[in-house]
Amino acid sequence: MTGPSTIKPAIVPLGDTSVLVRFDSKLSEAANQAAIALAAVLDQSHILGVQEVVPNLVSVLLRYDPTLTSYASLAGELRLILFGLDKTGAPGRAWTIPIAFDGPDLGDVAQALGLSVPQFIAAHNRHPLRVLTTGFAPGFVYCGLHEPALVLPRRPTVRPSVPAGSILFAAGQTAITATEMPTGWHLIGQTSFKNFDQAIMPPTHLRAGDLIHFEPLP
Amino acid sequence: MSAVLRIDKAGPMTTIQDGGRFGMLRHGLSASGPMDRGAFLRAGQGGIGAIELTRAQFELTVTSGQCRIGYAGGLFTIALNGEPHPWPGTMTLQSGDRVSIAPGASGNYGYLRFSKDIALPMVLGSLSTSTRARLGGLEGRALRAGDVLQLALTANDPAKPTGLDAVEGPIRFCWGLHAELFGPAVRKRFEHESFLVSASMDRMGVRLEDPQSVFGSANNLSLVSDAVVPGDIQILGDGTPIVLMRDHQPTGGYPRIATIISADLDRFAQMRPGTAIAFRSVSVEHAHRLLRSGLA
Repeated sequence: MTGPSTIKPAIVPLGDTSVLVRFDSKLSEAANQAAIALAAVLDQSHILGVQEVVPNLVSVLLRYDPTLTSYASLAGELRLILFGLDKTGAPGRAWTIPIAFDGPDLGDVAQALGLSVPQFIAAHNRHPLRVLTTGFAPGFVYCGLHEPALVLPRRPTVRPSVPAGSILFAAGQTAITATEMPTGWHLIGQTSFKNFDQAIMPPTHLRAGDLIHFEPLP
Repeated sequence: MSAVLRIDKAGPMTTIQDGGRFGMLRHGLSASGPMDRGAFLRAGQGGIGAIELTRAQFELTVTSGQCRIGYAGGLFTIALNGEPHPWPGTMTLQSGDRVSIAPGASGNYGYLRFSKDIALPMVLGSLSTSTRARLGGLEGRALRAGDVLQLALTANDPAKPTGLDAVEGPIRFCWGLHAELFGPAVRKRFEHESFLVSASMDRMGVRLEDPQSVFGSANNLSLVSDAVVPGDIQILGDGTPIVLMRDHQPTGGYPRIATIISADLDRFAQMRPGTAIAFRSVSVEHAHRLLRSGLA
């Protein structure tokens, strides 16, 4: 794991109405925690012209109105905020989410990791996982990071559709889907927990930084 | 009084859009909204919501009530009860009137707006249809023959639409998040070779053809998934460039060489399959000057 002291943020434009503060070019606990911490500070900062603050896996996106601010002044504000940023941030909220570990790829996953299915389930749930970010699709959360012994690449083929509430596993992470979607990740289980409801505001429950305890259903 | 409209013909991608559903990226939802924002505005700022027309026949009948409509975007043909009218323009519809719209000489998207709000439930603050997320508009889907739309009681006449001066020339971009990964030779060729708009286009993205094989050599870069914005040009593993549009996925893991500037994204959206495109880089500051001056 990369230590916080080596995290050097880059401020880069993304088109002409967004700026990205990027803590690393690869996923690490430190870069992810720094992104979540910066987003929390920016949520409270109300910088002139900033319309939206979005934490991602290793970065924070700011959408801005170029008639109200310029890229240069926004980058200046960001440098000041980064200078005083506590890159570990506050701990998130704790959740317990019941999971039926019965996905069609569960056996293959356990075998590929050299474990029995019960051993894999136990190893998967040994520690709570952090919500790294919400992205890709409505309410889709990436949780991690698993220890190196539990890292598997994606499947070689894409499954055309998995339902909402699917528990997916790949690349050292566990993801929870909230809508039906295609995926190349391993399908290891299912939950009744619904993280996206278009009828309520905000439409998702889980936030980046929250801690999730995966509770296997008997 | 209000009005009731029946859709008699619609293309497979004809959707209801308003300004967009902003502020939802952190929940995994991109903003949607008009593919040509300028044309949506020029169609007249009447009631909330517009029908985004595509390169397909569209027809509606006013089954009761009356309303005014405004329309703009691309070059479509429009007829009221079989009689042609100029595009863009406005007209008043009475009960029983039939409006027929067909694709004309150029453009992919047109906008039909009404003097009254389209009476559909707001989803997370917007009427915009996201076909990707299957929400907003009418049941989160494209319009189809037989659909009935109610217009609300309050009226707010669409302004008279104005034509747009034709802007020609290269599509301008700012270098993207992963531009440096492509190397100076590829970046130089990206600016000097010509690309073609392919027939594979929808509200999520537009595939380009790369006849000079600028991105011919496959890349299998494994990148951390990061924020996507409309106009991003991502390069797939087989070298295919895709311009991500209004229904883009909020995050993505393919390398992105460039982002089309806001002032040129509407114009790009209206380019038909087979159109040749040259790309030219500008600074973010230059893109902002274009936006402030209104010189799209």
